[in-house]
Amino acid sequence: MSLEVKHVFYTYQEGSPTESHALQDICLNVDEGEFLGIVGHTGSGKSTLIQHLNGLLKPTKGDVLVDGLNINRKEAKGKLKELRMKVGIVFQYPEYQLFEETVEQDISFGPRNLGLSDTEVKQRVKESMELLKLDYKTLRKQSPFDLSGGQKRKVAIAGVLAMKPKYLVLDEPTAGLDPRGREEFLEQIAMLHRQGMTIVMVSHSMDDIARYAQQMIVMDHSRIKLQGTPQEVFSQPDVLDAAGVGVPSLTRLLLRLKEQGLDVRTDLIRMDEIKDEILRALAARGGNPSC
Amino acid sequence: MLKDITIGQYLPGHSFLHKLDPRTKILAVMIYMISLFIVNNFCGLGAMLVLSIAVVLVSKIPLKFFFRGIKAIVFIVLLTVALQMFMTPGEPLWQWGFLTITREGVRQAIFMGTRLVLLVSVTSILTLTTTPISLTDGIENLLKPFQRFGMPAHELAMMMTIALRFIPTLVEETEKIMKAQSARGADFESGNLIDRAKAMIPLLVPLFLNAFKRADELAIAMEARCYHGGENRTRLRALQYGSRDAITGVLCVCMVAGAVLTRFI
Repeated sequence: MSLEVKHVFYTYQEGSPTESHALQDICLNVDEGEFLGIVGHTGSGKSTLIQHLNGLLKPTKGDVLVDGLNINRKEAKGKLKELRMKVGIVFQYPEYQLFEETVEQDISFGPRNLGLSDTEVKQRVKESMELLKLDYKTLRKQSPFDLSGGQKRKVAIAGVLAMKPKYLVLDEPTAGLDPRGREEFLEQIAMLHRQGMTIVMVSHSMDDIARYAQQMIVMDHSRIKLQGTPQEVFSQPDVLDAAGVGVPSLTRLLLRLKEQGLDVRTDLIRMDEIKDEILRALAARGGNPSC
Repeated sequence: MLKDITIGQYLPGHSFLHKLDPRTKILAVMIYMISLFIVNNFCGLGAMLVLSIAVVLVSKIPLKFFFRGIKAIVFIVLLTVALQMFMTPGEPLWQWGFLTITREGVRQAIFMGTRLVLLVSVTSILTLTTTPISLTDGIENLLKPFQRFGMPAHELAMMMTIALRFIPTLVEETEKIMKAQSARGADFESGNLIDRAKAMIPLLVPLFLNAFKRADELAIAMEARCYHGGENRTRLRALQYGSRDAITGVLCVCMVAGAVLTRFI
């Protein structure tokens, strides 16, 4: 069971003089339990791509399969709700979608649309709030508009989580959060992933992707430029620079050290590995690594 | 659905109409509307139809934009046609129960239907060939003479500029919120009228909230750049009439004259 994107093309305003090709020949496979990172500069087609994953947009050409169900075909028509339940999408600045009087009502919007019973809805609201460390008792009766920016966002995401999606797609979930909120937030997403949820995350931050993603794609001019594990992708800094996305700061450090003549590997991602590698290289050069 | 709104949409191009001064275009459209209601027989209406098609062709705008515009008002046109057809008293052609179609009714229906379609098509040419900015510049300029009677010409034009400027933003935002709510299982397309009205709440609440917030931010941004209304403001692109406008002016005079003449045929 997986998300499959096969040779997908998407054109905005087809046939008019303002038509633009947002996606060209995209092939992608997201396996269950995976953490996929999508990077690319603004306008490279990332957001268009993720909207295909639950049928909000239908490909102009090509196929998108969710657990084998082709969203393009007729048989998917009656199953849109099921599809949306399977693939939860959290859009950029999701706090703008809040509309209810209380936090609880807002989070229950999704599950209620699925036609669940009141007790089930309540249960799910509670669970999803707890998942994001929102205090159910104190917050549930508050207006979502009175909360802080970070909490608003959490409420909006809880609204998607309450639908219990198998695949969670996040579009720039940390944009506009302060460094601490950002850190906390990414940790929670990583935790959801550890609990077995499949995550697709669009991000501008190479550092975040390097830390959390197992697989990643780099998009440029509506095509996939690079695809693979973060190690594989970040070992090609030239291509990344050409795509306008750059490399994570730690990789940059390794590259700079190598440029300066230190013999280090540059395909490492994790902070502790990198620290060991630099110490090893310094020791091998004959310096004193302890100072 | 939202993409069907053609009013206020601008389509870049280099046709004769694109290069015309906005003031000329606005006045020409007004004269066209008057002419359209001056003509009162089929000969005149036919002439207006031919003229309108000519204008459409000159504008070099793909025909589907006009069809889309007409599609949006199809309900109003049908309603008008039906009302005219059944409600006009006169010589009956066909009768069934209390429904009567009269000769005068059919005539009126054809007239009103054609007039509406032409009206929408030609006014949409105005916006399709004129950028919103030059359109409001034109309006401001045309309203200037009324300023001495207390008409706030600049303020009106500024309000229009801002409104027009934010139509695409609001449409885009509506689509975004619609998508976000659809992703949460909202359904905007099925159900009866009441269900659909209810389904609008999750869309309208965030939309209005954001619009108010944006209006506040815009006001602050304008004030921060020392905006203080129309006095002593100069323009980057001052409007100037050219030979094209003279030609259009002559054609407009011919059109009105022609329209008046057809009444005597």
